[in-house]
Amino acid sequence: MIFTIFKKELKDTLRDRRTLMMMLVIPVLIFPIIMNVFVSISSSYQKEAATKKIKIGMVGAKDNFLYRELNAIPANLGSKEIILYKDTVAMLADLKNDSLQLASYVRADFDQYMDSMKPAPIVFYHNATDMGMQERAEGYMKIIEEKAKQARYKKLGIDEQKVQPIVTEYKNIASDKEMIGKLAGGMLPYIFIAFGFIGCMYPAIDLFTGEKERGTIETLLTTPVARWQILFGKMGVVVLSGLTAATAALFGLFMSIEVLDVVDNKEILEIIHSILSVKFILMLYSLLIPLTVFFAGVMIPIAVYAKSFKEAQSIITPLNIVMVLPAMVGFFPGIELNTVTACIPVVNIVLATKELIAGTLEFGLVALSFSVMLTLAVVAVIVSYKRFDKETNVVM
Amino acid sequence: MIEVTNLKKEFILSRQQQKELNTKDKTALAVDSISFRCEPGRVFSLLGPNGAGKTTTLRMLSTIFKPTSGSIKIAGIDAIADPQEARKKIGFLTGSTGLYARLTPNELIQYFGDLYGVSKSDLKERKERLYHLLDMNEFQNKRIGKLSTGMKQKVSICRTMIHDPEVVVFDEPTSGLDVITAENIITLIRDCKTQGKTVIFSSHIMSEVDLLCDDMAIIHKGKILFEGTMQDFRSNMQADNLTAEFIRIVHASQNA
Repeated sequence: MIFTIFKKELKDTLRDRRTLMMMLVIPVLIFPIIMNVFVSISSSYQKEAATKKIKIGMVGAKDNFLYRELNAIPANLGSKEIILYKDTVAMLADLKNDSLQLASYVRADFDQYMDSMKPAPIVFYHNATDMGMQERAEGYMKIIEEKAKQARYKKLGIDEQKVQPIVTEYKNIASDKEMIGKLAGGMLPYIFIAFGFIGCMYPAIDLFTGEKERGTIETLLTTPVARWQILFGKMGVVVLSGLTAATAALFGLFMSIEVLDVVDNKEILEIIHSILSVKFILMLYSLLIPLTVFFAGVMIPIAVYAKSFKEAQSIITPLNIVMVLPAMVGFFPGIELNTVTACIPVVNIVLATKELIAGTLEFGLVALSFSVMLTLAVVAVIVSYKRFDKETNVVM
Repeated sequence: MIEVTNLKKEFILSRQQQKELNTKDKTALAVDSISFRCEPGRVFSLLGPNGAGKTTTLRMLSTIFKPTSGSIKIAGIDAIADPQEARKKIGFLTGSTGLYARLTPNELIQYFGDLYGVSKSDLKERKERLYHLLDMNEFQNKRIGKLSTGMKQKVSICRTMIHDPEVVVFDEPTSGLDVITAENIITLIRDCKTQGKTVIFSSHIMSEVDLLCDDMAIIHKGKILFEGTMQDFRSNMQADNLTAEFIRIVHASQNA
C-alpha cells in the first residue's frame, strides 16, 4: 500500500509544474547560469583591468626619477600615459572626476634622498572604487623599487645575499585534495542542503496542505489504508523530491565545471574528478538521506497543521533560513568535525562532507553524525505521524 | 446495515477556537449520544440545519473521526475496534469532495481500486460497467482538472462505487451542484437501494429527503429530535408541509 500511494503521489508531483521547476529545472540551471555569468564578467573585468590604458597624473620636476622609470616599464605590463601637473589640487580634481586613474606626487628633493641613500618618498593617489588601480600602481612600483635596490647594492658594493641572513622556506604538507576539501569543500554540502530543503518544501505543502485544501484527503482517509501507510507513501515522495533537487543542483554544478570550463586549472580539475568517486557519492548520500528525512519530518507536521498553501508556505519559508544557515559553517575554514560539532544537526553533515572530500575522515565521528541525524529523522517522523493521526489537523 | 448506539463526539477547543466561538468551554459537544439504525435496501436520511452534527456523524461512520464514546457497526463490523476492515465495506461521497486534478479518471479509479484491494478482473469488469452506466468512456483519459463539474461528479461516483461497497455514505452530496448534475447522484442513490445496499445521506433540504428516503432522523445541536420512517413523519405532521414540519420540530427543541 505504501508503494501504491508513493507511486500515485510521485506521478501527481511530477505533473505539477511548480514542483517540477523547483525540483529539477531551477537546480539544474542555476549553477551553469550563475557560474557562466560570474566567470565571463570577472574574466572580462580582469582582462580589461590588465590591458586598459591608464592616465597617471604626476606632480614633480620634469623628467624626475619616477617619470623616467615609469616610462621605462614596457607597455606589455600595462599601457599608460603620464600627465604632468603643477599642483596636487588640480591633479586630485582630475582623479576624482575620472580623467585620471592614478595620481602621484614626487617631492622636489626626491633626488637628494636618492643620492644620500635614504628612503625616498613617493605618494600614489587612487580611487578605490575604480578597482584594480592600486594593484596596477603596486605592480609598477615593485619593478621600480627592485631596480633601485639593485642599483644601491651595486653602488655600495654589497652582495645581496649578505644582507639576507635567513632564508625561510614554507612547505605545505597538505595535499591539494585536502586543501580543496577544507577550503572549498563546504560549498558542496551547502548546495545539497539548500536545494534539498527547497526540493522538499513544495511537495510537502502540495501533498499534505494541498490535499486538505482541495478536499481530497477525506476520501483517502476512508480507504482501508492505515494512516501511517499514507504518511510513509507521501513522505517517500517528499524525501525523493528533496534528494532529486539536491542531485540536480550538483549535476548543474558538475556540468558547469565540465561543459562550461569554469575551472581552467588542469590540476584542480583532476582533483575534482578524483573527489567525485563512486565511494564518495555513496558516502555522501548515506549522510544526506537522514538529513532529507529530517527536513521532510520537520515540514510535514507544519503542512498538516496549515489550513492553506499560503499559510504553510509562510511558516516553512522562514524555517529555510534556520535550517540552511548552519550549513554556512562549512565556509569557515577553522571549524572542524569533533565530538561537539558532530552532535549539532546540519552542521555535522556539512563538516563530515568536508572531511570526506578532504579524505581526512574519522569513522567514529561520521558514525556519530549519522546517528544524530538518524535519531532526529526518527523523531521527526514520529512527530509527523502524531500530527497526521490527529483527526482535527487532517480534516478541515 | 449500520447500527449506531449512544454515539458521542466531543472536540477539544484550542484557545483560538474558544476566541472564535466566544466561549470559555474547553470542549464542544458536536454529537450527543445518538442512536439509529439503517437497514439494507433502504435509504436513511440525516436531516438537520447547518452545524447540527450531520457531517461529524458521517465522518465517525466512515472512521475519519474517532467517537468519544458509543458504538458503530458497519455491516456487522465494529468500526471503532476495526476501522480498516469497516472501511472496506464503505463507499464515501461528499459534495465538497475534490479529485486529483492532475490525474485522469482512469488513473484515479485504478488508484482507488488498488487502495481497496480490488482484484484486476473485478476492477476491469466494474470499470467497464460504471463507465458505460455513467457515460464516462469519452473522457476517461483526460486530466480531471480539465473536466466539467458534471464529469467530475461522475468520476466521484465511480470512485465511490469501484469496490462495490455494502454501505454508502453521502454527506450533502448534491450541495453546490446544478439540477442536471445532482440528478446523477439521485440516480446513484436509487440504484444503490435497488441493489440492496445500505444508504445513508445527510441533507438540509427537506424536498431532497422526501424524494429519496425511506427512513429519516432529524438532528439538531448534536441530538436526534425525530427518528422513524418517512411514512411516520408524514402521518404525524402538525404543520402544513414537510419543510414547515421540519422547521417546527427544530424550533420546538430550541424553545424546550
